[in-house]
Amino acid sequence: MNSTKKTLFAQAMEQHKGIIYKIVNSYCQNKDDREDLAQEVLTTMWLAYDNYNSAYKFSTWMYRIALNVAISYYRKDSRREDKANEECIVKIADLSQEDESSEAVKQLYDFIGQLDKLNKAIMLLYLESEPYEGIASSLGISKTNVATRISRIKHTLKLQFETQDS
Amino acid sequence: MNVDNFKSAWQQQSTGTHSAIEINQAKLAEIKINKQMKALNKMKWARIIESVVFLVIIIMLWKYIAAGFTFSAPIISAFILTVFAIIGLAGNIGQIVLISNIDYSKPISQLQTDFYHVCAHKLQLTKLLLMSVPFYLAYVFIGFDLFFGIDLYPYLEQHMIWFYSLSSLSLFIVTVWLLAKLNYKNISKEWVKASIQFIVGEHLVNMAEILNSFEQIES
Repeated sequence: MNSTKKTLFAQAMEQHKGIIYKIVNSYCQNKDDREDLAQEVLTTMWLAYDNYNSAYKFSTWMYRIALNVAISYYRKDSRREDKANEECIVKIADLSQEDESSEAVKQLYDFIGQLDKLNKAIMLLYLESEPYEGIASSLGISKTNVATRISRIKHTLKLQFETQDS
Repeated sequence: MNVDNFKSAWQQQSTGTHSAIEINQAKLAEIKINKQMKALNKMKWARIIESVVFLVIIIMLWKYIAAGFTFSAPIISAFILTVFAIIGLAGNIGQIVLISNIDYSKPISQLQTDFYHVCAHKLQLTKLLLMSVPFYLAYVFIGFDLFFGIDLYPYLEQHMIWFYSLSSLSLFIVTVWLLAKLNYKNISKEWVKASIQFIVGEHLVNMAEILNSFEQIES
């Protein structure tokens, strides 16, 4: 990768690094796993950046790669022992210690955490106001099915909030 | 309250998350390979080695066939085993191509399907091995010919031939049924889940469940 591309990547990453934060917090329960997944996502994007087609939005490309890595992410407990030997490329603050996160966002993370891997992906893209066509294209399913899934997730969430309120 | 009420709060967290994540760009620029790609490379090399083994088996079987080409039980057995070895070799070549074409920017359903097929290799090999069980006599015939120089078939009595034929046919039916069931589509069945977990591991069970979710959505 040449230096111009490196700079472009660094700039784009700085601008959109919040996506990584949202994905790792949605897919992983503990800090070690979150940092490990964030590192995998980042390095995968870095290594795939040569094939990035600038005709597409960087954030869409980034979401697709990050979700693909997150869904296929599997970490055996034994690998945690290797952590000390690994180079730390990314550091993530603990979600529970983030004062800036509003109560609503924390509630959403709790809800997303309960969804299966696929519904998590749909929900994350929906919350980013990605159009249904975009979600369907990122997931490789039809637009109608995206709409049905979203409506089901929304219904479940509504019921959950109603239960909480009562 | 519904999800749409949370959308703006969710999108606004970007400003907050900016300070919550730190990236060491200098270290990132030095990265040449990561864990997932390392694992894929390791798999690719394993498949290349397996392909060589299958190729050696095919060459040896062909040499054996060419050396004594007659319509005898050991030669027919060698043909049957060659077919299995060719299937194994073709499967391995397919795996090498699949691993080489892994692209993380593909739509999620496509990449997860590719990953499933890559990770299901051990399951496919086990299936291939199990598929050869009904043809167990092929190993016996070749073994007798190689080690003792005897074609066992003419020495078998009629009732033994019937017994072996019927047992092979029964085994074939059971194996075909069993192998057809050992598929990600049946992952909700406890015994399928347990078998896949035992043969390959929990990772493939998780992937099978994801593929199943995709199929459920599309159906």
